[in-house]
Amino acid sequence: MDTSSPAVFVNAELLRMYIGRKVRTVVQIVRSDGGVVIGRSADEQQLVIKGSPPPLPLTTFVEVIGIADGNQSIHAEIWNNFGDIFDTSSFNRLCELANGEFKSLFL
Amino acid sequence: MFASQFDGNAAFSGGGFMPSQATQNPDVGFSSNKNRDSQGLLPLTVKQISEASVSNDDKSNFLVDGVSVNNVTMVGMVLNRVERVTDIAFTLDDGTGRIECNRWVNEAVDTKEMEGIQEGMYVQIHGHLKGFQGKRHLVAFAVRPVTDFNEITCHFLECIYVHLYNTKLKAQGGAPTQGQTMGSVMNTPMQKESKGYQAGTPNQFSGQFGMDGLKDIDQKVLDYLQQPSNLGREKGVHRDELGQHLKIPLDKIMESIRALEEEGLIYSTIDECHYKSTGNG
Repeated sequence: MDTSSPAVFVNAELLRMYIGRKVRTVVQIVRSDGGVVIGRSADEQQLVIKGSPPPLPLTTFVEVIGIADGNQSIHAEIWNNFGDIFDTSSFNRLCELANGEFKSLFL
Repeated sequence: MFASQFDGNAAFSGGGFMPSQATQNPDVGFSSNKNRDSQGLLPLTVKQISEASVSNDDKSNFLVDGVSVNNVTMVGMVLNRVERVTDIAFTLDDGTGRIECNRWVNEAVDTKEMEGIQEGMYVQIHGHLKGFQGKRHLVAFAVRPVTDFNEITCHFLECIYVHLYNTKLKAQGGAPTQGQTMGSVMNTPMQKESKGYQAGTPNQFSGQFGMDGLKDIDQKVLDYLQQPSNLGREKGVHRDELGQHLKIPLDKIMESIRALEEEGLIYSTIDECHYKSTGNG
């Protein structure tokens, strides 16, 4: 058992609270060119995803896990294709709950 | 008939994977049967497991929110997958932490299930939480790849829901027994879609057949035979008892018994006078 380095569920709003720490989020890919990927967060803001995307083409929704390195940027270590259908509003609520009232279940 | 010799609950320690017992403890009502209630499948995060307290009465049992934990369901990523001769070991990372898991492979079907599980994949695990030398790990009995990623959101929302349910009930001072808590959680619509927490009870069984146009008397006979106390009787119920209890003449009872027997809903036991329901027997 190891709970020393959790990846926090975040949306763009919550991302800024975790700069320098490990986070996870799901973005809708807006643009992907030359190593930088622009995505839209579950709370409808733009996020810059750095790091090297996997060789496979990205689907509409992608989960990234990595270090929050700015107010609107994540350096991704892990990329997971989440397919073309994903309920972002539920995910957004989960981010809020996991950082609010029920933080103790996650962090 | 064989139920009295084979205790499925003890052998498999529960989950929604074995038919429920109906015959084991005929004197104990369904709602208060501890053995069965502790079998619930609890959605948890690794963080919750790491903070679970060890329950006093049984070394291998843990408590989360005051509810005893045996079987859990978790969703996360597979890491450090190692194939060994008799099992496959891996670490599950659900974002809140990591827990060691293993899945015994006895049958070809187990091997096949685990072949599809690759490093880095999101999976849903049903397993038994164990503590050994102070370390907690999960013995998985089912590992299934997540194909719809909303399941991840859903799983964590379920964790929150169950946590809220168990803590809120206690805060209200109702001091619910563990059984009631678990039972009610399992009956909520939210959980219903999940993977069959418990097999059907005899009551569901009779409901199912009630619509098939069984005659009134047939249904009464069947209902009586399916009462938990009667399911638990090894010899079944004597036809005279049926007649007396239901206040129906014996020839009508026999007519129903023949009809039900033909439908495969009941069978005769020690002689042609004693009958038992086939449902959950």
